[in-house]
This record gives sequence, C-alpha cells and structure tokens, in this order.
Amino acid sequence: MSEFEICVSSQLTELGGIAQFITERARAAGLDDQRVFDVQMAVDEASTNTINHAYGGRQDGQLRVCCFVDGDDFVVRIIDQGAPFDPETVPSPDLDAPIEERQVGGLGLYFMRQLMDEVRFFSDPDHGNVLLMRKRRA
Amino acid sequence: MATLTTHLKRCDLISLEGRYDSGTAPELEAAIKASMDQDVYRIVLDMSKVEYFGSAAIRVFVVAYKTCRRWNRGDVRLAAVPERIQHVFELAGLWDIVGTFADATLAVGSF
Repeated sequence: MSEFEICVSSQLTELGGIAQFITERARAAGLDDQRVFDVQMAVDEASTNTINHAYGGRQDGQLRVCCFVDGDDFVVRIIDQGAPFDPETVPSPDLDAPIEERQVGGLGLYFMRQLMDEVRFFSDPDHGNVLLMRKRRA
Repeated sequence: MATLTTHLKRCDLISLEGRYDSGTAPELEAAIKASMDQDVYRIVLDMSKVEYFGSAAIRVFVVAYKTCRRWNRGDVRLAAVPERIQHVFELAGLWDIVGTFADATLAVGSF
C-alpha cells in the first residue's frame, strides 16, 4: 500500500499546492472527476480550518496531508500540532433560513461531511490532531 | 487566477477565473467592494472560468448578495456557472435563491 504525503507550513497560500497534490493522487487512485472535486474541496476546507483555527493564523505551524488507497476507499489523513478541535462545538449552518438571517460560519465542516463518506477527528499523543476522511473510489 | 471588472451601463460585470479558496477569496471581496464603493450594487459574476469556489468564497458571495439587495438597490446575479460550482451553491442551499443565467449577456440584460 503506497502512501503519499505533502508537508506544508500553516499559510493560506499553501492551499493551491495542497489542492494540486490531492487532485493528482485522487485521480491516480481511479476516482472520477466529480469524486476528485469532492475530495479536493473537503481537503481544502479541512486545511483552511486547520490554518485558521488550529493554528489561529500562526504561519509557522506544520500541516501534513497524507493519502492512500484502502480497498474501495481513498483515504486522506491531515495532521497538525495546533489547538485541538472539537467538531461538536461547531453549529450546523441553517440552510433553510432566509438568506438575510443566515450566519456565514460553519460551512466548511458541513461541506466536508456532505462531500466525504466518513469524517473523523481524533487526538493522537504522538502526532497531534488527526483528521481522517474516506471517500469511496466508485 | 484573475478577477476583472468591466463597468457597463446597467451593472458591473466581474469576470472570475481560477481558484477561489480562503487564500484567494479576498480578491473577489475586494473587487465587489470596489464596485459598491462606486455606488454600484447591480453586479453580475461571470463564473465561466471558475475552477474552485470554497466556503470562504461562498461567504464573500452571501455578504455581497445581502449588501447589494438591501433597500432594493440592486442584486448579485450569476452567469455561466460550471456544473461543479453549481453543486457547491446547491450544497450551501443557495442555488434556488440566487438569480442564475446561461451566459453573461443574459445576466447583464436581466438588469
């Protein structure tokens, strides 16, 4: 099982490079264009949350994005050493509310959950915060 | 990625190109603000060359949409939205709310 990894600093200017990396790997793993887009978007939103929230805008943090094929799934793991994240504290966006009343936060996590088949956060004392996401390859 | 504004008689036409993630969405925000600073609240976003539109860009859009429509002074309408980007607007629960047109000419003509 081959695992691929990109390691970048916690800066929003790195998002384009992360997207390119994950797009190439997802394509190589046999995902169709829509699935590749979904994975790319989930990874972009997750990386954004890490940079903005886990590292709180600090630019000297590190973000590791790893991916591999596990049977029928394409798996992405994002690891950081920033502040721990509790997804339960993020309210779901109310997408039925009139647009004038909508809060503009919480969309990133909502997108990740909609786009991927599994989204799991945990803390690993050896590595830091780990986000694991799975997408069926077909 | 490039965001280009064309001033027209009826509205401003802002042509988007490339990726709009958290790092680059501020460019779109600045373009829309520049129009609003000129008291132009009728805006068409030509989405035909957009490759990616993340939640940060969606937030910029929602704020602009609300601001432009306040007191019935205008609107933000979308033209030539690629299918994948349409899906993002659908996920955000916006697709059925926002005015969308097949191309920029139709969108501009709608004002």
